[in-house]
This record gives sequence, C-alpha cells and structure tokens, in this order.
Amino acid sequence: MLPIILLSVFGIVLLFMGFLKSKVLLLPATLVFILAALATTFMDWGKTYLYFQNMLLTNNLAILFTTIVLLSAFMVVALSNSFIEDEQAQPAEYYALLLFSLVGAIMMISFENLIMLFVGVEILSVAMYVLAGSDKHSPRSNEAALKYFLMGAFATGIMLFGIALLYGATGTFVVSGIKSYVYTNAYGVSLLLYMGIILLLIGMLFKVSAAPFHFWTPDVYDGTPGLFTAFMSTVVKTAGFAALFRVLSVSFVGVYSFWWGTLAALTCLTLLIGNVTAVYQTSFKRMMAYSSISHAGYLLIGLTALGTQTKQALVFYSLAYSLATISAFGVLLVVSRQRQDTNGVNENFDAFNGLARQNPLLGFVMAVSMLSLAGIPLTAGFWGKFMIFTTAADKGIYWILVFAVLMSTVGIYYYFRVIIAMYFREGAAEPVKVAPFYRYVLIAATILTLVLGLAPGLLEGLV
Amino acid sequence: MLSDFGIILLFILAAFAFISLVLFGASFLRPDRPNVEKMSTYESGEEPVGNANVQFNIRFYVVALIFVLFDVELVFLFPWATVFGQKTLINETKGLWGWFSLAEMSIFVLTLALGLAYAWVKGYLSWVKPQQKIPTVDTKVPQSLYDQVNKKYQPKAKASQPASGTV
Amino acid sequence: MILSLLIFLPLIGALVVALLPDNQHIPFKWLTLGVAMAELLLSVVAYTQFDQQQAGYQLLEQADWITLPLGNLGVVSIDYLLGVDGISLPLVVLSSVILLIGVLSSWTIENRQKAYFSLYLLLSGTIMGCFVALDFFLFFLFFEFMLLPMYFLIGLWGGPRREYASIKFFLYTLLGSVLILLVMIGLYLSVMDPVSTAVMAGLATDAASVDQDLIRLVQAQLADMHISSSQIVHTFDLRYMADGGNYLPNAFLSGAGETTFWGIPARMIAFWAVFLGFAIKLPIVPLHTWLPDAHVEAPTPVSVVLAGVLLKIGGYGFIRIAWGLFPDGGAQYAQTLAGLGVLSIVYGGLNALAQNDLKKMIAYSSVSHMGFVLLGVASLTSEGINGAIYQMVSHGVLSAMLFLIVGVIYDRTHDRRIDSYRGLLQVMPHYAVLTAVAFFGSLGLPGFSGFVGELFTLMGGFQSLWLPGWLPSVAVSGIVLAAAYLLWSLQRMFFGPLWTRDGVESTLTDLNGRERLMLIPLGLLALLLGLLPNVLFNLSNATVAQWLEKFNV
Repeated sequence: MLPIILLSVFGIVLLFMGFLKSKVLLLPATLVFILAALATTFMDWGKTYLYFQNMLLTNNLAILFTTIVLLSAFMVVALSNSFIEDEQAQPAEYYALLLFSLVGAIMMISFENLIMLFVGVEILSVAMYVLAGSDKHSPRSNEAALKYFLMGAFATGIMLFGIALLYGATGTFVVSGIKSYVYTNAYGVSLLLYMGIILLLIGMLFKVSAAPFHFWTPDVYDGTPGLFTAFMSTVVKTAGFAALFRVLSVSFVGVYSFWWGTLAALTCLTLLIGNVTAVYQTSFKRMMAYSSISHAGYLLIGLTALGTQTKQALVFYSLAYSLATISAFGVLLVVSRQRQDTNGVNENFDAFNGLARQNPLLGFVMAVSMLSLAGIPLTAGFWGKFMIFTTAADKGIYWILVFAVLMSTVGIYYYFRVIIAMYFREGAAEPVKVAPFYRYVLIAATILTLVLGLAPGLLEGLV
Repeated sequence: MLSDFGIILLFILAAFAFISLVLFGASFLRPDRPNVEKMSTYESGEEPVGNANVQFNIRFYVVALIFVLFDVELVFLFPWATVFGQKTLINETKGLWGWFSLAEMSIFVLTLALGLAYAWVKGYLSWVKPQQKIPTVDTKVPQSLYDQVNKKYQPKAKASQPASGTV
Repeated sequence: MILSLLIFLPLIGALVVALLPDNQHIPFKWLTLGVAMAELLLSVVAYTQFDQQQAGYQLLEQADWITLPLGNLGVVSIDYLLGVDGISLPLVVLSSVILLIGVLSSWTIENRQKAYFSLYLLLSGTIMGCFVALDFFLFFLFFEFMLLPMYFLIGLWGGPRREYASIKFFLYTLLGSVLILLVMIGLYLSVMDPVSTAVMAGLATDAASVDQDLIRLVQAQLADMHISSSQIVHTFDLRYMADGGNYLPNAFLSGAGETTFWGIPARMIAFWAVFLGFAIKLPIVPLHTWLPDAHVEAPTPVSVVLAGVLLKIGGYGFIRIAWGLFPDGGAQYAQTLAGLGVLSIVYGGLNALAQNDLKKMIAYSSVSHMGFVLLGVASLTSEGINGAIYQMVSHGVLSAMLFLIVGVIYDRTHDRRIDSYRGLLQVMPHYAVLTAVAFFGSLGLPGFSGFVGELFTLMGGFQSLWLPGWLPSVAVSGIVLAAAYLLWSLQRMFFGPLWTRDGVESTLTDLNGRERLMLIPLGLLALLLGLLPNVLFNLSNATVAQWLEKFNV
C-alpha cells in the first residue's frame, strides 16, 4: 500500500513547493510523483495482500483499477500547463489536492473494510469540492462547488447510514465478513441488510452519477474548470465503479436476486436520461456531462449482469472511457480558451467549427475520441461495449441489451455533432496553438485508443 | 431477551425520561418571580444589539478550523498516552515499544504541525489591522492651507492626534 | 493471399495518401486510379483461379487475429478468415469494376483531394473486406467501419443538405448494424467450432487431423451433451454457424428453439433482427427513406459507389447471413418477406414516377429494383437466388451508369430537374444514346442485363413452393412502372425542340473523353451480361444449389 503513503507525502511536499518563486518545477514534479506511485503500485502484482489490520486489500484487479486512475490523473496533470501561465491560479494547491484525491480513489478501489470505503469517498470528494470551485472569480464555478458539496455531503450521509445498517445486520464492516454472513443466513437475512444495501447503493450511485441521482452532474461539470471536469468524470467514476464492483461482487453476491432488478431498472433509466438529454445540449461540456451519465449506464449493465467476466469488462470499459474522455476534454480546453466569445470561454459546439481544417491533429484526436465514446469498431470504446454486452448476453438479460443498443444509436447522434462541426462547418481562420507536450499527450491517448481497438487482446490475462 | 440495539434504545429513553423529570421537578419546586432584569438575555446587564445572525469575518473560520484540528489531535493523544505508558509492553520489548510509539506520535504531530506551518507561511494566521481611511471633502480650499492651520495650532503636549484633512 | 491483397491494397493506399503532404502537385487521383486498376486486375485473377464447378468456399485464408478470454464464456477467438464462393465472387468483381469507374468519376473533385481519395480508398478496402470475410466478426467490423468513410464522403463533398443526409444515412445503417451485433453475440454463444472442440474434447490430436466423419461425431456428442461446456470452443466462423449441427443444445439460438419471447422462438426474433439490419442497407420499404436523401446530397462518384456496391451488401447479407444462418426463418416467413419485396418494387416504382429530380427518381428506381432481389431470395428456388445475384450485379452496373448520366448533366448546368430540359438529343447525341442504353437496360429490355435479372427472380417467385402466385404477378407491375418512369423521362428530356429552363443551352456540350470512358464500358458490360447470362450463372449456380439444400426439408 505504498502508493497511498507516497501520494500523501508527495501532496504535502507539493504544497510546500508552492512557496518557491518559480512555478516551473511543479508540473514535472507532479508527473514524477504520479509515476512513482504507479511504479510502487505494481510491487504487489500477482499477489493478494491485506493491509492495516484488514483495512485494505490489494489484488490484480485493484492494481489495474489503480493504474487506470493514475494514468488518467497523469494525463490530466500533463494537460494542465495553463495553470502555470495563469497569474491567479495556485497550481501547487491544485496539484496537491489532485494527489490527495488520488489517495481517496485508491482507498475506494482497494478497501476491505467499509469504513475505508467511506474514508476514501470523503477524501476524494472533499478534494473535488475544492477543485470544483477553484475558479474563484466565476459564479458558475462557485455554484458548482456549492452544489457538488451539498449533494455530495448528502450522498455520503446516506451511504454512511447504509454502512451503519449493514453493521447492524451483520456485525462487521469487513466486506468478506458480510459475504459470509449472507451465505450463512441464506434463508433469513435481516431486513436491515436489505435497507443497508439500498442506502449504500444510493450513496454510491450518487457518486458515479447514475439516474435518478444524476441531477447534480450537468451543473457541476459545466461550472467546474474543464481540466477538473475531466478528472472528475474519469477518476471519480472509475473509482466509484471499482468500489461498487467490490461491494456487489463480494458482499452482496449472495443476495443478487434482491438487488439486480432494482439496478437493472436504474441502468435503463440512466441510459435513457443520459442519452436522450445529451441530444438537446448546445454546450459541448454539458453534452459530455450527460454522456458521462450514459456511460455510467453502460458500466452499470456490467454490474447488473454480474458474472465472472464483469471485472474484465469494467476494467476495459473504464480504460477506454477514460482515454477518450480525457482527450476530448484536452481538445476542448485549448479550443475553448483560444476561441472565446463575448461570454468568455466558448464551450459550445460551434467553438469547434472548422477545427479539422485548421488543426487536423486536434480534429483527428477529437474524432477518434468521439468515435470511441460512440462505440464504433476499431476503437477501444467498441470493445468496451462489446464486452459489456457479451456479459449481459451471457447472463441472458437480453431486454436490457436491446435497450442499451438502441440508446447507443442515439449516442451516435450527439457525438457526431462535434464531428460535423469540426469537419463540415466553416470556422475561424487562424489555427489553435497547442504546446508540444500537450500535443504528445493527446497523441498518446489517441494511439492507445486505436491500439486497444485493433488488438484488445493486449490486456489478455491481466485480470 | 434484549438485543444490543434494545439496550441502546432503553438508554435513550431513560435519558429523555430523566431530563424531563428533573426539569419538571425543578419548575415545581423553585420560586417563580420574573422581572425585566431577569428576563434579559445577559444577566450581567449587557444589552444585546441587533440580530445574532451576523456575518463573521472569514478569518474566524480559518482559525477555528486550525483549532479544531489540534483539538482532535489532543483527543487522540489521550488514548495514545495510556497505551504508550503500559509497563508490560515496554518491559516485554526492552524499551523498544516506547521509542516506537513515541516516533509514531511524533510523525502524527509533526504532520499536523507542518499544516500549521503551511497556514502560517501562507499568512492565514496574521490578523491584518484595518487600514485607517482618511476621509476627504470636496472643497475648493486646497489641502495645503488646512495643513498650515493644523500645524500652527497643533497642541504641543499631546501630539498623538493625527493630522487630518477634515474641516 | 489474393483476397488479402484485395483488402489491404486500398487500405495501404489510403494510409499512404493520408500520410503524404497535402500538396497540389501530388497526383492523388492517379495514385487512386492505379490502386483501383490493380484491384480490378486482382479480382480478375481471383475469377480465373476460382473453380466454377465447385460449390464450397475457395481461396481460403486463415490467421488468428484477436483472442480475448472472457471468463466462463471461454475465449473469444476472432479469426482473420477470408474466402469466396459463387455468391460473393460476382460481387467482388462488380465492386472492383464500379470502384474503378468511381475513381474516374472523381476526376473533377478539386476540393480537398487528399482527404477525398484517402477516404475513397478506405471505403474500397472495407467494401472488399465485407464481401470476402467469412468470420462473422470480421464481416461486422468491415460492415460497420464502412459507414465512416461513406459518412465523410457525403458530409464533406455533398450538396446543401449534406449534414442531414449524412447523419441520417449513418444512424439508419448503424441501427441496422447494432441489431446484427446483438444477433452476432447470441450466435457466438450458441455455436461451437467443431474442429477446435474435437481437439479440446480429446477426440483428435490436432486440428489438421479432423475430417468430416470426426466432425459428425463431435456434433453427435454435442447433441447428446457428452461434451462439457468448458470443452466447447465458440466461434464466429460463418461456415460453422451455417451448419445446424454445431448449435449447442439448449443454447439461446439453438435450432430446436426452446428459448421463446412472447411465444416466438428466439431464433425467429434473431432472424428478423438480422433481416432488418440488412433490409435497411438494401433498402426495403419502409426503411428506405435514407436512400433518396443520401443520393440527392452525395457527389456523383459517391452515388455511384453507394448504388452500385453498397446496396449489394444488403442483398449479400440476406443470402449469406439472414437466410444462410436462419433457413427456418426464411422458410417460415417466406410470404411476408416476399410481400415486403413486392411492396418495395411497387412503392419504389410509384415514387419514382412522381419525382421531378432525376437523381431522386433513380434513387427510387433503385429501391424498386432491389425489391426484386428480396423477392428472388425469398422464393427459395434456384432461379430466384441465381436471379437475385444476377439482379444485384446488373443493378450495380446499370445504376452506376444512371448516376453517372445524372452527374454529366449536373456538371454542366447544376440543375437536375427533369422538366428543366427538352430536346437534349439535338446538342448531346452521344449522351442521348448512352442514356437510352442505360434506361432501356434498367427497364428490362431483353438483351440487356436488367431483363435477365428480373425475369429470373420473377420465375423464381412463380415456381416457388412457398409463395402464392399473386405476389410475383403484382411484382410484374414494377417492370411496367419502370418502363413508364424511364421512358417518360427520356421523352421529356431528350425529344422535341431544344429548351432549358435557365437558358443555359450554350453550356450543353456532348460527352468528353473521360465520360465516354466511364459510360461506354458500363453499357457494354450491361449488354454483355444480357446476351451471355451464363457467364454469371455458371459462377453462382453450383454454390446456390448447395446453399438451397438446407431448404429441402
């Protein structure tokens, strides 16, 4: 569990590095720190360890999820060079908060004790509340922070209540302990357990923004500075699903028949709301918010059809989704900043008009990430969807599959609006300027998306 | 047979019952002769001015936050002290236990102190005094004339009164 | 090797074009033309190597591509498996011809040549891949990936409503392909690979030693549930999927049809899902509405490829996948399906009659003509299926020619309305002659290819044991309608005194050399196919005969 300790220490170190006159060192230092954490993550590869008196458990699955989270964070940080140029910003604090939130994410991924889940969620969330409001001069950012804080605090409260009820029912906080309680009392599970499961699920679904607990998502995503939106929609979501998977696949697998119907209904609702509402957005960022809701829906299919290959599907899908989302936000960041309209940064679809003509590279990166999110073959997103669908097909839940497939067709419509704007419309004459390092990160993410699309077997045997 | 929760419920009920009993009993027993002074908010005689719902200076919150942090640290130190002082443990480990727990607590306290240092350097602890604002008056008489008059009649013994541009 | 070349030559070409600098002096069109000619050469070589007497798949190529372990689902193994038979080879040759003509027709593209030819080559490669892929997954990848270059070709070089047309095209076809994807997953879970399963179950030492008898043995053991589920190797191989013996007992899509939804066997639902997927592509009324929009907005070469080749993938999918994998569905619903075909024939014909836009008229005539393909396939007779394949090839040639003809007049005046022209014969005699050839060929004049295709599909319809006689009788009216709208247009546009709506008579010049080079070979091809139908029938007959065996219950 070295990465947790390392990231905490690095976060403090970064805070104090903020006192240096020069801000140049911050970005490379943060990248190195994340890489160091990533390297130490793999020290436990192939083994299953319990840490801190059964508080945390690392196994290969946890390591893979941690890798996705750290990789996403790495890319987000790498795209953050605009902080350095901004006079008002306090990059050291942002980076430190990002590292602290990663600590929370890793706890959520590898918890063995439900208390650790709660602590992880809180560490992650508190850092995100601050980051959501980091643009102090924008009323939208302040609104986002407040909304996120109130809703998030409410959700964690519900979750904590659920955990308390679970303790009341089973007498333990340990995930595997709850499992053995469920198995030994297969015919007379306490009502408290069911209540606890529902409340815990509500709290977690809040965090991953699944309907009907999604209503904070669009406003928060919209108001939060773009970079942190990218972080929020990848790291928080991946960690949330890792936590959901752990608790559902270990603790509550014995009462699958109790929760799967509810989860299936919520899955369909999430898919419906996310996809249909995304169609009506004029702001690209809001569209991405609804798209993140819809992707929560696809990931929920994997959980609804819980089986042996669910974890592989979740890992692959999270990776594909994170790569595509970060490169999309990366393009949005430069474009919105350099093509401002009267209201400041322009985050609408029309900001992308004619982008492919002026910046073929940015256009291609965006197109690939949109295709991946839409699930077109030869991108990583297609295989993610394919695996999720296969999971559902194997479980025999065909109706949810048909619904998801219809919704993914709706998805094409709004993802392609960006492509239409970039390729078919006329736009500003001067190209958008992109820093070299920024460009390398985008290229790397795109290549990874395409490589995973051509050879999904690369991840074979890891899970 | 009562479950553990039942016992807790009993405790809660007993607490309610006890408090209501005491309060009711007291109200029956005590003499009740109110007057205006007794009914005021502060018996010391301080008159409350305005609503209690006023905005505090934001610095209070920062200080309060830091205070709470160290308060919690203190709460943590007490149980630690009992474990730290256990003679059997110290004897069994030939004194190593003491060093170990001392080191652990030092790390904990130091980390918090680091936070305090950060807040200090950032300037959250320095309570900046309000800057004195010199009022100005829109008049055709130039400022230099006032300064002349002020200088001329400046009291020699008490020079503490600052020169101002007021008429 | 030759089939791989057919796919990868254009794909590599696309990559090369995409990587070359965007420079006016680089002859992108010559490069593309070279690739297209090499493609034609390759397909002719494939044609000569093909043994026409033999029914099965030939020129097979196989390699492992993607292996993806999926827990207790076993291993997804997607093979790179290519091959052609008498059904796909005619379409491969047709595609290479039409794609070559398409390059010639693209000669006038000035705007963003690099992107255009790169996408065009990408499209060519995926089309070829679709026709030669024998692994369902590989087929699906090509089928879906094909949409992207097409989408950009319409969206970037199209007419004023190109955004609407291109996204409509994309969404319609994608909806179809996701239905196919669902069925593909279901099939995958229900079908075993007998060769690998034999090896896994210990019945054979290695894959090479598995022969037909052993496959029968494996299938028998599977039916008796002697093979444990961990030993079953699933497959996407279309050859194994087409063999009913390879279906797992009690599986989702097994032949016995235990799984039902609302009383309908899952197999039948799957059949309809696949049918819809390809019917959108063909297209069949009422799923055709994307076609007129796409054609009207698409530039001429894209229209040519769209009508000439892309629609055929729908028909090919019918024969290979919808009917090929679900013969029971095809047999059970033969009447409804043929009815849909006849509806397309009549509805498309009536719509064409009402159009004033020449391109839209031809688009609706495509709907009508592709209805014959469905009728022929649904008849489940040797004549019908052969006729359907023939009709696809013939329509590929003729519709390409028709769209080129529209392109010729549109290039000159930017006006496609039929009633904007009169007496074109006087200034454009050669154009008039070639238009007449295309129109007569299309309306089914004996001696041209259209006649043979329609005749055979109708004969199939009348001879079919599954269809009532009135269905093909109604379909005959489609030929009458075709004669009506084509001849009426011919009369209105070409005869009488010279007149144009906008007074642009001076711009009306006769065909130039490039246009002749495109139109005359196509006209000759239509004539050749009409006079020597055996060239095609010899190719497809053996395969079709074997294909029909599973309907002789």
